[in-house]
Amino acid sequence: MANYQIPSWVIFSIFAVLASQYFSGSHSASILNSIAIAALLAGSLRFVMLIGELNFAIAAFVGIGAYSAGVATTMLDISFFLAILTSGVAASLISMVFGSITLRSGGPYFLLIGFAFTEAMRIVYSKTDVLGQTSGMVGIFPPIEFDDWLSLFVIIICLGLLFLMYVIEKSQFGTIFKSIRDNSDVTRTVGINVLYWKVVCFAIASFCAGIAGALQAFVNNVISPGDFGYLLAVFALAYVKVGGESSIAGSILGAIFLVVLSEFALALGAGEHIFYGAAIVIAVLFMREGIVGLVSSTISWITKTRASKEERV
Amino acid sequence: MELVFQLLITTLQISAVYILFSLGLTLIFGVMQIVNFAHGHYFAISALVVVYLMPWLVEAGFPASAAYILSGLIGIAAAVLVGLATYQFGFRHFQRDMVGSFILSVGFVLLFDGLFLESFGGASRSVPSIVEGTVSVFGAAITGQRLLLCFAAILTAFALYLVLMKSKLGSALRAVSIDQEAAMLQGVPYNKIAFSGFLLAAGLAGIAGALIAPVSIVTPAIGADYIVKGFIAVIIGGLGSIPGAVIGALFVAFVEAFGGYYYGASTATLAIFFLVIAFLLFKPKGLFGNG
Amino acid sequence: MKNLTNNKMQLLSNLTFSCLLTLGVAAGAVADESSKPIKVGLSVPMSGAAALWGQGADWMCKKASEEIRDSGGVVVDGTTYNYECITYDNKYNAAEGAKVARALLQREGVEFIGGSLGTAPVRALQSLSERMGVLIFTTAWGDQIKGPDYPLTFTQMNTPHEILEPLISYVSEAHPEAESVAILNPNDATGQQTEAVSTKAWGKVGLEVVSSDFYERGTTEYQPIALRLARHDPDVIDLGATPPAEAGAIFKELDVIGWDGVKLVEVGTGADGLTAIGGDSVEGVYMGAAVAFNGPSVTDHQKRVNEEAREDLGESLNTVQIGFYDSLFALKAAMEKSQSIEPKKVAEALPSVTFQSFYGNTARFGGEETYGSPQQMMLPVIVTRIEQGELVELGRINPTE
Repeated sequence: MANYQIPSWVIFSIFAVLASQYFSGSHSASILNSIAIAALLAGSLRFVMLIGELNFAIAAFVGIGAYSAGVATTMLDISFFLAILTSGVAASLISMVFGSITLRSGGPYFLLIGFAFTEAMRIVYSKTDVLGQTSGMVGIFPPIEFDDWLSLFVIIICLGLLFLMYVIEKSQFGTIFKSIRDNSDVTRTVGINVLYWKVVCFAIASFCAGIAGALQAFVNNVISPGDFGYLLAVFALAYVKVGGESSIAGSILGAIFLVVLSEFALALGAGEHIFYGAAIVIAVLFMREGIVGLVSSTISWITKTRASKEERV
Repeated sequence: MELVFQLLITTLQISAVYILFSLGLTLIFGVMQIVNFAHGHYFAISALVVVYLMPWLVEAGFPASAAYILSGLIGIAAAVLVGLATYQFGFRHFQRDMVGSFILSVGFVLLFDGLFLESFGGASRSVPSIVEGTVSVFGAAITGQRLLLCFAAILTAFALYLVLMKSKLGSALRAVSIDQEAAMLQGVPYNKIAFSGFLLAAGLAGIAGALIAPVSIVTPAIGADYIVKGFIAVIIGGLGSIPGAVIGALFVAFVEAFGGYYYGASTATLAIFFLVIAFLLFKPKGLFGNG
Repeated sequence: MKNLTNNKMQLLSNLTFSCLLTLGVAAGAVADESSKPIKVGLSVPMSGAAALWGQGADWMCKKASEEIRDSGGVVVDGTTYNYECITYDNKYNAAEGAKVARALLQREGVEFIGGSLGTAPVRALQSLSERMGVLIFTTAWGDQIKGPDYPLTFTQMNTPHEILEPLISYVSEAHPEAESVAILNPNDATGQQTEAVSTKAWGKVGLEVVSSDFYERGTTEYQPIALRLARHDPDVIDLGATPPAEAGAIFKELDVIGWDGVKLVEVGTGADGLTAIGGDSVEGVYMGAAVAFNGPSVTDHQKRVNEEAREDLGESLNTVQIGFYDSLFALKAAMEKSQSIEPKKVAEALPSVTFQSFYGNTARFGGEETYGSPQQMMLPVIVTRIEQGELVELGRINPTE
């Protein structure tokens, strides 16, 4: 029976919820929203890493989710909750088609074609009249009664989906995914349909990415094709890498750290790129395990003696 | 008929730069199994150096062609240097780790983006043509400068081919890209070979950048525009394959020229993406891929 | 036993990030209170292809605030205020635009936006600014950007609505033998809006629009585009909102394949990029949003400022950037007229003030007929042409209202 670390999740969730209520002043609430969505994004990217693939198409699916939510709300008058669900489903369905073709190639091909797909979708949005073309789509608002609770809702959804991904990771499905990552040939010999499970993993991650996109649409009220370029995937990558790839906590940590720091980097202009770039390079070269690694090794250093004492009991 | 020739000539001249670009990308992948997103920036630094240095040299009294050759050489050197730096401080530790090296290259891309913008400013520049005048080939027009570019690209590709087929370094590079462990068992010094391969690729990007400077709009962001096309070319051709890179580049250029003419530029760009996705259905590893 | 330790570690780790989370959010939430300087926010692209525009906008805002300070500041109700420019990079997309909007309006407490560039980020800004009662100036085009529904939004430069008809009439009168025109625009917000207005305007002067295309920003090779443009052998080629450097590349390719005719970059903002890339092929190009700094109607002040700008930015000033200078002077006039620094009151005063614009004329706000309310800065349309490699002013068409 896998250990799902329930107590940690509960404590963290309570903390996050309390934070959202305490800091309900507009600006802090916005930062919390950004952090939550960023964490969900990072979690989704990391989820695909479980099968050993780098999902650079994530931005495209975030975009699909966002535009689905936009269309659902402004043109089809679909209710708020249903719109968000639709976005996730839409992204997931399209990802299944895309994935079944491209995951066959895997590796660098999957990576590069994901990149190309992102750019292609961006062009599609910018050429489509009903989607507002390059001026973007406006007026994506949650129902008015929801205004005060939006931040709470965003956090709950993001945490919920992150928890879901965590549970799947720790379950037998996770074992299958990781075995594909480690050696897909061996996995195949055991009778597992590698492509099928790769697509399942991808579809789940894309569902989350689509929801992240929908949430972003409601939080910002305006979306444009430029929001969903490859830079979005780069940021997600930064969150995962800087936070620490080994656990989902890393995705959350990386998101918190970088989103907060970027608030202060706004005034740097082009310097913001240098900042993110340097963060990634440093994290990759010197902090292979990310912030999670740093924290873990510090804590294990502190509790080293106690641990060895307990072991002997 | 004249139109078709014009479009064919256009295809050839567009493909010239794409070929040089993708050759470098595919070489690095073949030898080190990594995807280097920052490849575009070796290209960019070379172009930027040429565009800034050449006017300065001309003002100092150098004749145009000498100024161009000198600044071109310095540009290529700059590209190789930047490549060296990224290898030494980064990629060297990530050989055969595709995910890790890609992430690292992404970090470099952001870093260089910001640094280039700060150092060179946002203005667009170009340099005057070295070879003036327009030439007519079968009724199709092409500027002397672009013709030079095509010849240079063909020459470079051919020289690369010779190096790979006839020289000791080339044999080692090929051996490593086919089977790294077997090559090492045969005594091939992997680290040295990887290093040489990487610098060679950066040099190719540098040559491409120096050649493109007189015929293109050079901004600090120029790397990003070409890298997408370069990636598509190597996907089609197959990562690690030299002839594949050439064919892939030609294909991209073909769709851009013919598609762009008949259907408009945006549609052509879109078409390239979706054609490649469809292509992967039949050839998941590209035409000649061994990734 | 190991499980227990793992649990403890996880717990401690969790507490650590919860603390980080709190610290982070608290730090972000601390607002900076300043009362004497009036903060003026700018939401412009500072990176990527449009970086130069953003840099120039920031430069002009600072120049204007400097000049206002040197001439005694803004005097309202006995207190003297000075403007402080805070510029954030909106990366030309809505998501960053929303982030910038929140940082400026909520974190910095800015009540006036001296300028905003990029339709998508401006709309993101608007959805916040109108709700929060913040006055914004923008260079964004598009009819839906302003009007009675957006009482706090004002446009600080000429849009296609103001520029195209006068410009196109001028050109067609200068070339009465022209009968057909081919149009090309970049596939972005400015391009799409320019195209819509230009096709009507050409129709009005009796020319046939034989083709209208779009190309992607970031295109590297322009021969196919040039070939397609020239395929019907039009008399006029109109490049609409194509940025100067790219327009230069296109004209160069057109020259290579042998096309010649009337060349026009309707919302062309400057000659530097055009001549740098296009060389001889851009001889005779007409533009409607560029400023020639060597003509007879150019003031010494303009020349001096432009020289300084050229040194710092690498290129001459253009109408987009000049808007960020004018907006501050418009603000000053409105604040002093209404004797208030409250956005709503200032907005009410704006339509009735006049101020000295960078172009040297006395400017005011108008545009009621086109937009529904007077929120458009009325500026002269400057028709320029490249002659012998230099930008020459052919005439100014003053706003008709």
